[in-house]
Amino acid sequence: MTHAGRMAVTGFALRTPLGDDAGAVLRRLLAGERAAAPNAHFDASTYTCRLAATIPGAPRPTKHRKFVKRMGLFGMEVGAEALARSGTPANGARLGLFCGYGGLRAHWDDLMPVLEKQAGDERATGAWTQGFSLLHPFWMLFHLSNNAHALLSIDVGGKGDGTTTAGSNAGAQALRAAIVALAVGSVDAALVFAYDSLVEPETLLSLGMSGAATNAPTPAAVVAPYDERAAGIVPGEAAAAVVLERPDDAGDRAISFVSAAATADGAVDFPLPRTSASLAAALSAGDTIVDGAALASPARDAAERAALADVLGPSATLLALTASTGQLGGATAVVQAILLGEALRAGALPPIAGLERPSEGPLRPLVRAEETRARSALALSAGMPGLAGVLRVEVP
Amino acid sequence: MGARRAVITGVGAVSAFGVGYEALANGLAAGRSAVGPIRSFDARTFPTRVAGEVPIEKTNALFLEKHRGVLLHVGEAGTWEESGLLRDRKVCFGLVAAAEAWRHARCGTAERKGALSIGLGLEQAFLEDLAEELDEGEIRVGAGDLAGGEGVRFRSRVDLTAEKIRSVVGLSGRVAVHASACAAGGMAVAHAASLIERGAADAVLCGAADSMVNPLGIGGMSRLGAPSPRAEPSACRPFDRRRDGLVVGEGAAMFVVEEESRARARGAEPLAVIAGYATTQDAYRATAPRPDGSRALAAMERAVRRANLTPADVGYVNAHGTGTPLNDPAEAKAIRALFGDVPTSSIKGAVGHLMAAAGAIELAACLLAFTRDLLPGTAHFEEPDPECPINVIGPKPLAKRVDYVLSNSFGFGGQNVSVLLGRPR
Repeated sequence: MTHAGRMAVTGFALRTPLGDDAGAVLRRLLAGERAAAPNAHFDASTYTCRLAATIPGAPRPTKHRKFVKRMGLFGMEVGAEALARSGTPANGARLGLFCGYGGLRAHWDDLMPVLEKQAGDERATGAWTQGFSLLHPFWMLFHLSNNAHALLSIDVGGKGDGTTTAGSNAGAQALRAAIVALAVGSVDAALVFAYDSLVEPETLLSLGMSGAATNAPTPAAVVAPYDERAAGIVPGEAAAAVVLERPDDAGDRAISFVSAAATADGAVDFPLPRTSASLAAALSAGDTIVDGAALASPARDAAERAALADVLGPSATLLALTASTGQLGGATAVVQAILLGEALRAGALPPIAGLERPSEGPLRPLVRAEETRARSALALSAGMPGLAGVLRVEVP
Repeated sequence: MGARRAVITGVGAVSAFGVGYEALANGLAAGRSAVGPIRSFDARTFPTRVAGEVPIEKTNALFLEKHRGVLLHVGEAGTWEESGLLRDRKVCFGLVAAAEAWRHARCGTAERKGALSIGLGLEQAFLEDLAEELDEGEIRVGAGDLAGGEGVRFRSRVDLTAEKIRSVVGLSGRVAVHASACAAGGMAVAHAASLIERGAADAVLCGAADSMVNPLGIGGMSRLGAPSPRAEPSACRPFDRRRDGLVVGEGAAMFVVEEESRARARGAEPLAVIAGYATTQDAYRATAPRPDGSRALAAMERAVRRANLTPADVGYVNAHGTGTPLNDPAEAKAIRALFGDVPTSSIKGAVGHLMAAAGAIELAACLLAFTRDLLPGTAHFEEPDPECPINVIGPKPLAKRVDYVLSNSFGFGGQNVSVLLGRPR
C-alpha cells in the first residue's frame, strides 16, 4: 500500500443504534447483540418492514436546529467530537471537511401547512397566501444538502478543501476524497463525517416493496445475513466521523490506518458482488478478515462470498457488523472504519449476530466471537443503485 | 502535478436560452437575457414570478426523444414517463445535456469505461402527489406498502439523475454525486479533472443539473428572501448598485473531460484545458459570505497556483455574481485583490441562478472565450457600485482574446470552488 492511499485515523466519534461509545459498542457487538426493534420513529404497523435499528435519544440542543435536521445534527456532533479527540494541530486553511450523506429523506410533515389550507382551491389562487407563505423562512436551508457541512465548518473553523457527496456509498466517497486531499498536500488534516438514516417512511416503503428489508414481525424473528434463511436487512441509521492525517504527521497519535475506494456498476439495485470484490482486490494486502456487505439475501450473500473468495481465499473470516447495527446507508463505511479498528485493537472479532444456520459456501462466517492476532481487515458496503464502497483498516 | 492534463472535448447544455449548447452560446454572444415570467406553473400569486426557465412547459418522453432520443432504448422514455420520474425537470435536462456532450465529443465504446461526476440539487417532491395521499393532514400509507395505490411515486431522490445518465450513456466507471449546493457543479468538474490527473480515469462525463422552478422551489426561495422582489425580467443585476437579489434559473451543463494525449490520439478536439481548480470554505456564517472575500480569494489563488500560472495570466473571471447585496461586494473584493482590473462578468442576470448547476452552466459559458474570442456580458448591469470595485463587463459581451479564464462558484455556508480553464494548444 502506498503512502498516498493509506492515512492515519487520529480521532473518531459515532452515534449508532448500539450506542455512542466505540468501546461499549464493540462489547455489544462481541456479545452478539442486535439493535433491531419495533420502529421507534413512526407508526410502521401497516408497512411490510416494521422493524428498525435507530439511534437512541436525540441530538443535543443547539442553535443549529433551525437549519439542520436530526441526522445532520448528529453528524455535526460527531464531527466536532472526533476533531477534539484527534489532537491534530492542523486548523484553518489546513483543515479540510469531507461529508458523505445518504441523500435527503424528505420530511413531508413540513409541507402539511402548505397543503392543508389549499383544499378546494383548484385554480391555486391561494397558493402563496394560504400555502407557501406559511413555510418557515428557513425551510429551504433546512433541506439543503450541505447544511451540516457548512455549519460544521463554521463551528470547527475548517477553511481548507471541502466536498459534500451523496449516495448510499457516500461515506466511502468522502473517505476517498479526504485521502486524496491529504496525499496531494492540500490539507494536513481531514475531518470526514457521514450520516444517514434508512428509517424514513419512503425509504422503508421502497425497501419493503423491493423485498430488500426484513418482514420479520419481531426482532427475535430476524434472520441474520449469511444464514441460509436470510430474508432482508434491518434498516438502520448512524452518524460517524474520523479525522485523517498523513501517517508521518500523525506519529504515535495514529489509532489506525485506512484506505478506501468507491465505485458504481450501473446495477439498478445493489451492486454486483464482483464490483466490490475488484475494489477489495485493489486494496487488499494479504488480508484474511472481511466485513461483508451483509445484504441478507441468500443469492446475494452467496455471490458475494464467491467473489470475495477469489480475492481473499476460501477460508477468510467473514463478519457482518450491520447484522448488529442495522444497515447504515451512506454512513456505513465510516462506522466500519471505527468499529473494525476497535475490534482489531482489542484482538477480538464479533460474531454475525443471530447467525444460526450459515449457508454453504466459501469464507468462514463467524458464528461466535473469537480472538484474533490479525492487524488488518477489509470492509464492504453496498447500496442502491449499484453503489459500492470498500475500505481497508489496519492497526499499528 | 503529473504530466496528465484534463481537457474538455464535448459540451452540452440546457438553459433558459433553450435546449443545446448553441442556444446558450448564441444567446450570450448576442448579449440577450432569457429571464422571463414563469410559465411551467401558475406563479401569479407568488412574490417571485420570473425565472430563468427552460422554455418548455412539460418534461416528458416526447421531450427526451425529440432532443436526444438516439441514446435511448425503444420505449425507455415512455416507461420513465409512466413512472413519473420525468416530471423532475432536472432529470430530463441532465439527460439531454449529457447526450449532447457525449455526441459532441464523438465518444465511443472505449469512453464508456469512463466515470460520472455530477452535481445535483435537492430531491424533488411533487405536491400534486402529496395532496392525493393526504388524509387529515397526514401522509396515508395503505396496506401492502402502497401509498395511493401507485407505489412510492412522489419522491425523486437526489441521485436519480446520475443513475439515469449512467444508464443511458452506458458508463461503467465510478460515480460521484456532488451535493455542495451552489458549488456542486464546479466541484463536479474539478473532481473530474482530479480523476484524470491522478490516472483514476481516462474519460469522465461531468457537470450538473438542477431545477427549482416549481412551487416548492420558488416558494421556499421566496420565503428565504433570496430572490429579487421585483418580478421583472431585469430582476437580477449582478454588481449593479441597484441589485436586490437573485433570479432562480434551471437547466444543466455537461462536459466530456479526457486525458489530453488520449483525446488527441483518438482525434477529439479539445475545447479547453482544465488547468487548475481549488476548493475552500468560508467558515464564517450560514447565511452570509465572509465579507472580506478572503476564502474566495484563497480558492482563486490556489487554482491559479495549481495551474502554475500567475494572476496576470488570467484574462477573464466568470464570477459567481448572484446579484445579492452581500455576495457581490465580497466576491468583488477578492477579485480585485488577486486580479486587479481583469474583465469580469456574471451570466446570472441572463439565465438566472441554476443553483447546483450554476458552476457547470457558467463553465460552459466560459468556453466562448476560446471558441469565439468573446467574454460573456453581465445582463442588466448599468450602474457600477463603489462597493464592487472591479472591471465589470456590461450587458454586451466583450470581444477579446484571452488564454485563461477562471470561474467561481460559492455554495451555502461558504463552500467555494474555483475552476481555471485554458485555451487548448
